[in-house]
Amino acid sequence: MRFLYPLGLLGLIAVPILIIIYIIKNKYVEQVVSSTYLWTLSEKFLKRRNPIRMITGIISLILQILAVIFISFAISHPVFTLPHAAEDFCFIIDGSGSMNITLQDGATRFDEAKERVRKLISDSATGSAYTLIVAGDSTDTLYQSIEDKERALSLLDEAEPSFGASGFVNAVSRAQEMFGFNPALSVYVVTDKSYEQTENVNVVNVSDGAKNYAVSDVEYSFAGGKLIVGGNVISYNGDAELDLNLYIDGAEECESTQKVEVKNLELTPFSFESDSVDFASLKVAVAQTDSLMNDNESVLYNVRYDRSFTTLVVSETPFFLQAVFKALGNARVDVAKPDKYENLTGKDGYGLYVFDGFSPAELPRNGAVWFVNPKSSVENSGFSMQSEISLSEPGKLAFSTSSSTRVKNLLAGLSKSDIYLSEYVKCGQYRNFINLISVEGSPVVFAGTNSFGNREVVFAFDFHNSDVPLSPDFPALINNLIGYTFPAVVDNSSYFCGDSADINVLANCESVRVDTPQGKVVYLDTSNPVVSYTLDEAGVYTVTEIIGNTTRTVNLFATVPVSERYVTVSEPSLVISGQASSERRDGRYEDLLAFFIILAVLFIADWMVYCYEQYQLR
Amino acid sequence: MEKLPINEEFLQQLELLQLLIKNSVAGAFGGNHKTRTYGSSCEYADFRDYVPGDDLKKVDWNAYARFEKLYLKLFLDERQMHTRIYIDASRSMTYGNGNKDTQAVKIAAAIAYLSVCDMDKVSIYVIHENAVEEVITSMLGKDSFVANIGKLNGIVFNGDSCISDAVLPLNVGYGDGLSVIISDFLTDNNYEDAVNYLADRKRDVLCVQVLSREELKPKSRGKVHFFDSENTSRYYRKNINRDIINAYKAALEYATGRIRDLCHSREAEYMLVAADENIADLFFERMTEMGVLK
Repeated sequence: MRFLYPLGLLGLIAVPILIIIYIIKNKYVEQVVSSTYLWTLSEKFLKRRNPIRMITGIISLILQILAVIFISFAISHPVFTLPHAAEDFCFIIDGSGSMNITLQDGATRFDEAKERVRKLISDSATGSAYTLIVAGDSTDTLYQSIEDKERALSLLDEAEPSFGASGFVNAVSRAQEMFGFNPALSVYVVTDKSYEQTENVNVVNVSDGAKNYAVSDVEYSFAGGKLIVGGNVISYNGDAELDLNLYIDGAEECESTQKVEVKNLELTPFSFESDSVDFASLKVAVAQTDSLMNDNESVLYNVRYDRSFTTLVVSETPFFLQAVFKALGNARVDVAKPDKYENLTGKDGYGLYVFDGFSPAELPRNGAVWFVNPKSSVENSGFSMQSEISLSEPGKLAFSTSSSTRVKNLLAGLSKSDIYLSEYVKCGQYRNFINLISVEGSPVVFAGTNSFGNREVVFAFDFHNSDVPLSPDFPALINNLIGYTFPAVVDNSSYFCGDSADINVLANCESVRVDTPQGKVVYLDTSNPVVSYTLDEAGVYTVTEIIGNTTRTVNLFATVPVSERYVTVSEPSLVISGQASSERRDGRYEDLLAFFIILAVLFIADWMVYCYEQYQLR
Repeated sequence: MEKLPINEEFLQQLELLQLLIKNSVAGAFGGNHKTRTYGSSCEYADFRDYVPGDDLKKVDWNAYARFEKLYLKLFLDERQMHTRIYIDASRSMTYGNGNKDTQAVKIAAAIAYLSVCDMDKVSIYVIHENAVEEVITSMLGKDSFVANIGKLNGIVFNGDSCISDAVLPLNVGYGDGLSVIISDFLTDNNYEDAVNYLADRKRDVLCVQVLSREELKPKSRGKVHFFDSENTSRYYRKNINRDIINAYKAALEYATGRIRDLCHSREAEYMLVAADENIADLFFERMTEMGVLK
């Protein structure tokens, strides 16, 4: 036993003082009476006293001395060592999406898991060491080998489940590493999955076989001027008849509804038809409630919806470009003559600058740039003009055969028919440009990023000297290049928790903000054209890009992974290898509650003795 | 201390009362107390045949007229009683606030007055240690009472007392009246033999136990060290609590029961008197109810 505050023992000085006071105070009053005969005779009639009543006169003093002793001890805060009473605990809590399933009492499986761990920690002897690992879509060690029970419980409260798959592999690996250092480690895995109990792992199962339905694989397409929405629905605990509702653009009333007979663990397809072709978002949801509501709906966003841009075409003959931009829609096209460009007011506010047969003195800094038949090199443009080449015979354009994804995307949908040109500009380009079309080995259509970070496309020929505008591939190519120049914030709006969403960051983008379903706000790095963001939470994310005065906002939807939708899952055993040791660490007992209880008992007893004495003396 | 607070009014009231004597009195002189022998009182007793030598004045001539035979009409005799009063003069009778001595003297004076009113002789004694001291001897008549009763003021209450040792050697008479012992009887000493002796001598016995209010209902509580007034080597040291008070009450019951039972067994009278009890109430109510007075 040791004391945290040994000076508290000075309180024991009060014991002799108390005794002295008692001796001084309790003197017998001497009195002469006519006869002591009756008093002496009364001894014969005094009821037989039990031995403890022999000390009745000083029982109050004894109680007060004990109270002083215990108060002194309580102040000095004794700490008792309990040999081999404490343990090393390593708790691995399954933080996967299925742990969000609600139990019958309203709490989630994760709450139940925390409660089980809380009980184990609370019941353990003080001096035990605790490690807590939450194995969600990432494996987080909240604390390792801490002995502060209150802190362990406090940090346990802060643990939250993810919506992704469980990371038991990493968690067990960490536990194995700790077990290697300390074979006395008691490993507890708290999960809703049916792992077998193994020698060094204690599995605590918190599943209760609740019902769960899920909507998955939702896609949309257009056919016959209608919106077709299809997907699958599944029940994870028995057959069910489910009501499926289709919602468009966040409407509270469903657009369409249908009943679906669903077999247990069988994907059952469904399909909706709608006239809402021009939609911003659609949602398919199961009307019935279950234990895991996150997977009861699937939301798709039209990532190209409301994508608009402004374009300034500087050209003497803007006919082809003007026509194709208008044909693609969502574009406001202004036209300026080359000789007017330099003095043009308000020329900085465009998303795309197209210079046709004209090279500006200075490259625009705030927008993407297209060069058509450049006349001279422009500083910071990323390419240099070398010479104008006139072909003796029209040259056939060669489409790039690169396996690069960007190249494939930019040439997607093209029939790659024979296209010829008679003149072109030979250009030298920097490394960050990709060739799309070339003639005689010289790139004539290439795209990349200029020195200001803006996307840039170069057509190194005059449209009038080629049959490109007449080609059926021309609108598709322009469309692809517009898509490249003005990339959507995301290419896909539907994800599973744990997936990473690639967010396209435009040049001059000041900030990219992500609002998560649980209200968290994250600002992403804007230095790269594409930034990945891992979707940890289930629900709707809002991604907002701010470019000057322009704001681009898209929504993403992430749902629970299919593997986490099962209410009961059997998994192979978790194994921690090695010979366990029975050696335990020394525990401590430093709880003052017992002291306070004893003190309370002593005070109550003293009070009762006082009352009894007063009753006796009345 | 006023030893004789007996005023004239009280004495006049006492004159209406008379001591009842159970045993037939065998006094030498005539008095107011009937005897079993025939005498010259006015109360008819019996007839007997005339024998020569009888006083002709006692012949019942009416009976002769009817039966033509001489009968003598007999009357009860009335004798004088000798009341002997023994006062315990130990120190326990006077110590403290009990005023037991005052009460004892009052009772003795009152009984003496009743006796002299009945033309009885009265002797008052005090018991000191093992001896009896005469205070008033053979007091007879009210004049003598008035002349002698003041001697009671001179009684000194001191020392111990042993009633039996003091009374047994005495000539207490035989069947000639009432013996009164006034004491607190709070002693281990023998007093039973004295009562038995007096009863055996065919005397009516009245034991008056005088106890102070503190002795009847002690108020002392807490830690006390009692010293005995008669012998300071005797002491009692205790933390007086409810249990001890209950034991004390049992002891008091035992002590009073001891003398009471003794008296009842010897057809003697017993009376427990509180030291502060009103003397008028004592004589006019309690003693009348007990049959000591009529």
